[in-house]
Amino acid sequence: MMNVRNIMTKDVVTVAQASGLKEAAMLMASKSVSSLVVMEKNRPIAVVSETDIIKGISSSKPRVKDVMSREFMIISPLTRFSEIISSLREKKIKRFPVVENEKLVGLITETDVIEATRDFTRFHQIVQEVILAIFGLATAFFLFYFSPIGASMFG
Amino acid sequence: MARVRDVMLDDVPTLGKEAKIGEAARLLAGRGTGCIIVAEGKKPVGIVTELDLIRNIVKGKSLKSPVSGIMTSSVVSMSPSMKLDEALKTIDIKKFRRYPVVDNGELVGLATKRDIVNAISDNVRFHRNIQNAVLVIFVLFEFFVFVLFRYLYKYLPLGS
Repeated sequence: MMNVRNIMTKDVVTVAQASGLKEAAMLMASKSVSSLVVMEKNRPIAVVSETDIIKGISSSKPRVKDVMSREFMIISPLTRFSEIISSLREKKIKRFPVVENEKLVGLITETDVIEATRDFTRFHQIVQEVILAIFGLATAFFLFYFSPIGASMFG
Repeated sequence: MARVRDVMLDDVPTLGKEAKIGEAARLLAGRGTGCIIVAEGKKPVGIVTELDLIRNIVKGKSLKSPVSGIMTSSVVSMSPSMKLDEALKTIDIKKFRRYPVVDNGELVGLATKRDIVNAISDNVRFHRNIQNAVLVIFVLFEFFVFVLFRYLYKYLPLGS
């Protein structure tokens, strides 16, 4: 099954809420990530997305504090994937910091979820075809087994 | 099967080649589409994503320089009549996330990996339900055949 631990990004880039917007933008560009997690006392308190940074730049806000958003949901490695999907689709939450034993161990973004969905879809199609084939063969066998010809053959 | 035109975004943020980076930033901040298409007339010539913009601003590019300097100009586009399966193949090969949808050389929409994957996943889920219903009917049918043969066997004019 789909596991939070398998699809999360493990190298989370964190930033303090007092740091400058420029610094945050530099971090994002150099690490090629689409979101930063704002930490305070070892707890994620907010997230910053690319859009937030651009908004900050175009309205010349100086600090991370001014642009960060609270639209995130802390999850644990045991959270069910379906829960993440429903938050993503219904509540429009796009970032999920993964916390285990009070420590930030990963981050799931929309991109990770899409990747996982894509792989899962492919896997599911194969499984479904195999099940259909097995049932088809079983049906054929049943019909044959209980038909007069089958009965004379199997006794 | 659905096609690209069913899942694409119709209202694409577009800018001309001469537009300034500052304008691009304002458009990106206001729209939340994650990218803008740079077009010459109606023809898309490039794409600027949020990360492109951030990279260039960090590098010290002025907000007054033109967007044509930071755009990615080899854009892979899709056609609106493309099936979603084919679109997914294109995505797997090209590895981009956003594709302008072009009809007769004109920009008509924006297709994202997210929308295409979600549409296919919903479709698969729908089909899975149908298949499961069919399976249940099959099993019931098998059971029926089994019972019928058990009890009607002796009345059927089949051999001894």
